[in-house]
Amino acid sequence: MGGAAAVQESDVILELKDVAMYFGKVAALAGASLRVRRGEIHSVIGPNGAGKTVMMNCISGLYRPQKGEIHFKGERVNDVRPYERAVRGMSRTFQKVEVFGGMTVLDNIRLGRHIHLKSGILSGSIYAGKTAREEIENRQFIEEEIIDLLEIEHIRHKPVGMLPYGLQKRVELGRALALKPDLLILDEPLAGLNLEETEDMARFVLDVNEDPRWNITCLLVEHDMGVVMDLSHRVFVLNFGNMIMDGTPQEVQNNPEVIKAYLGEEDLYATRR
Amino acid sequence: MSTTFLPCGEYHQNYHEDHAWWQTRFIKGKMIALMLMLFIGIPYVADEYWLSVCNQIGYTALGALGVQLLIGFCGQVTLGHAAFLAVGAYTSTLLILEFPWPKLLLDLGLAYPLSIFIAAVAAGIWSVIFGLPSAKVKGFYLILTTMAAQFITVDFVITQYISQIGGRGQAFSLPPGTIKIGPWVIDSDLKIYYMMIALVIVLTAAVLNLLRSRVGRAWVAIRDNDISAEVMGINVVQYKLFAFFVAGFIGGVAGAFWISNLAAISPEHFPWFWSLWLVGVILIGGVGSIHGTIFGSIFMVVVMELLQMAVIPLAASYPKLLMDFLFIKEAAFGLAICAFMIFEPNGLAYRWWQTKNYFNLWPFSY
Repeated sequence: MGGAAAVQESDVILELKDVAMYFGKVAALAGASLRVRRGEIHSVIGPNGAGKTVMMNCISGLYRPQKGEIHFKGERVNDVRPYERAVRGMSRTFQKVEVFGGMTVLDNIRLGRHIHLKSGILSGSIYAGKTAREEIENRQFIEEEIIDLLEIEHIRHKPVGMLPYGLQKRVELGRALALKPDLLILDEPLAGLNLEETEDMARFVLDVNEDPRWNITCLLVEHDMGVVMDLSHRVFVLNFGNMIMDGTPQEVQNNPEVIKAYLGEEDLYATRR
Repeated sequence: MSTTFLPCGEYHQNYHEDHAWWQTRFIKGKMIALMLMLFIGIPYVADEYWLSVCNQIGYTALGALGVQLLIGFCGQVTLGHAAFLAVGAYTSTLLILEFPWPKLLLDLGLAYPLSIFIAAVAAGIWSVIFGLPSAKVKGFYLILTTMAAQFITVDFVITQYISQIGGRGQAFSLPPGTIKIGPWVIDSDLKIYYMMIALVIVLTAAVLNLLRSRVGRAWVAIRDNDISAEVMGINVVQYKLFAFFVAGFIGGVAGAFWISNLAAISPEHFPWFWSLWLVGVILIGGVGSIHGTIFGSIFMVVVMELLQMAVIPLAASYPKLLMDFLFIKEAAFGLAICAFMIFEPNGLAYRWWQTKNYFNLWPFSY
């Protein structure tokens, strides 16, 4: 735990200071503090209803916490609208896939490039010169960097609503990557996936984290302990809105309180499907 | 659009080809044939009566295009679109009749084209005002606020105040010769037809282009999932208002175009039923499809004309049919919508797509 205090300020990309969120009298999040360092995979674990998704929604701006401060890249972002946070370099996926079902895979990912494109109503309606060129450059980026990475070439023209769940999750990751974010919030990317898809998805997360072309800091919410302990640099444990601890995977696995609250006594790897 | 079937042996070699509208030689040929039919075939074959039917179709299509954009692509249900047609028509009329145009512009015949543009912008801005509630309300509640647009605009502002300008009473009459584009005085169905075709093609192309660029994708994203659209960096309120503006703009063009077909303009040309009618057009044509707008307009107008043709000979023995024709028309409208909702909820556009695919994939249509 001593390492966290020694972190340089410039290394911290996201910082939560005593963030609390209440729904009526229910404290979904009762004062959580978290520091995510640049270039790391930081996981958030905890039992169901612990407030993990509430925390993610606070970070991406869908909820406004009643108390506490959220700092992104050194700036306070409590009052910044979600779309503005996306422009500043934050992107996320959802627990229950929230893709645009009526659009094709390609269009979903193209939509993720929204903040990097410039055309407006007039230039878009004429669709000549700069706009057409912009769309082609955009397409090239998507094809070469995202579709190739995620191996979804064969479905690029399919409407996403018609795809199986595992592929929808992958498209959602692609859409989030298209923003070229600095911080990627992954809310249960492995939920509902089979073993093979889980392995693929874990590989993609590692890729975008380690590949120097992406180098994305990830904030990962996940229940699959095997994957969490293998991937993460640090793990944050949440229980009923309260933070239990924040440490390396080894520290977390050996912490008696965490074992009592969430992990259970038996061998960790037995929880793996 | 993206799922065009390429014939064997034809491949795209760059993204430019894959982004093109007309991707194969066969499609290009078909489109040229369609253009020839629209610009030469129909005017050559059709008499004045059928040309006027075509104009009616074009007017319906222009009106429904804006409704399609709002309901079908942006998910903002609107039931007051006739208000923006009315704003367009009235702005254009007032500009032509009352505005002191410089002699030069009048001689060049630019007064009417310019007034169409100004009317469209005015209708767009008016539409944005009534789109503001969409920042807070969705679905059924938004239907009510857009219905307010209809009653405030047509039944209150236009009937009570605008119609009093000039002291002529309810209707503004448009003297022959006032509607002039360049050297042409728009005075026959044929000239209106050409104007209609040009407007429909230009505006449809503009909307299609929007839908394959940044703004249109944002609209569809808002329709499909507004929360994740916002997280993906789209200013949802701003883009909803953009949609209202563009829909109002198109409505304004439609209204301003339609005065060329009228000798006088009065609030009765833009009843609330007309708003409902436009929604019916897209329901029958197919929600979320530009083809659907066109097919729906053709279907609705032609069916109503056929109904009229059927009723007129019968009227000799059943005069009540002719007296109650308005009710018959409304009943047919309701029946058509019910039938489509039950038997083909995806509209005519889906049937068209199925038929096309059947032939594209023939003989292995699985």
